[in-house]
Amino acid sequence: MHDLDVLGVIFILGLTCYAMRAGGYVLAASMRDDGIAARFLRLAPGNLFIAFIVGGCLSGGLAGLVGTMVALVTMAVTAREWVALSAGFGAAIATSAIAP
Amino acid sequence: MTAAGFRRGLVAALPFLLSNGAAGLVMGLTYKGLGLGASHAILFSLLVYSATAQAITLSMWASPLPVAAMVVACIATNSRYLLMGAHLRQLFGGLAPRKILLSLFLLADASWLMTSSDADRNGPDAGYLLGSSIPMAIGWVGGTALAYAAPLATNGPLKLAAALLPTMFIATLLPSQWKNAASPWPWLISAVVALLVSHFVDPSWSMLIGGGCGTLVSMMERTDA
Repeated sequence: MHDLDVLGVIFILGLTCYAMRAGGYVLAASMRDDGIAARFLRLAPGNLFIAFIVGGCLSGGLAGLVGTMVALVTMAVTAREWVALSAGFGAAIATSAIAP
Repeated sequence: MTAAGFRRGLVAALPFLLSNGAAGLVMGLTYKGLGLGASHAILFSLLVYSATAQAITLSMWASPLPVAAMVVACIATNSRYLLMGAHLRQLFGGLAPRKILLSLFLLADASWLMTSSDADRNGPDAGYLLGSSIPMAIGWVGGTALAYAAPLATNGPLKLAAALLPTMFIATLLPSQWKNAASPWPWLISAVVALLVSHFVDPSWSMLIGGGCGTLVSMMERTDA
């Protein structure tokens, strides 16, 4: 992979993220909080996250699946990201040691 | 936009130097494991500056780079920033966009929440947004850089942790998203479609197709709360 390709992707993704950040402020006048667009923006992330997790669990094997589930449940219970991630990593490492 | 608001935000967000620093360190280790150079990794954290977008695009990393899928994933997962920006416009209505565009470069979930909360207590102040954003950004980018400066090798448990970080990080975001869902059906459809489609298309596109189908079903439901 060429350095220029990587740099290009970083700049494109950076520009995309900035457009999302600034876009809401600039376009606020034309966006109603209860409109279809606003509703779509609220609902899309959760659905994409689920689909993303399915892919991640598929490629991560049993350790990935167990770790992800433990992280999710811990987050739901504690609402603390770092507790959830630590628990998830711990569970994944334990699983990979038991069933490599 | 006042200097007092800037100072208030800066001080209030100082703890984020540590928490974002730790998160940035793990992200840096993941980039290191991927074989990305220090300058690229730091630039990634500086310009993209979004744990969600970085975690998602990391998992899509392949040769050749699936640029279009990455951009669509960034737009979809960071669409919440559009709503945050629209809300900030309501708060700072009198402030011309050109005066706040630089601050928006560093907009993060936490700085938006803190700014909204401060506006309730002390009145809207764009200085607070900029002040609170700075420690968060320094922590995130500094943590990424530290991963390369520190003698940490990505092998053994660290390698596993780095490989699983994107999926686990996204999993921790799910509880906060649940409040927007009217029923579990759209999420179930997202998962099943992504699973089925992954047999036929590239993993990055199966995620987008699955998530897109689930979102369509969400939109057809009567209410979203």
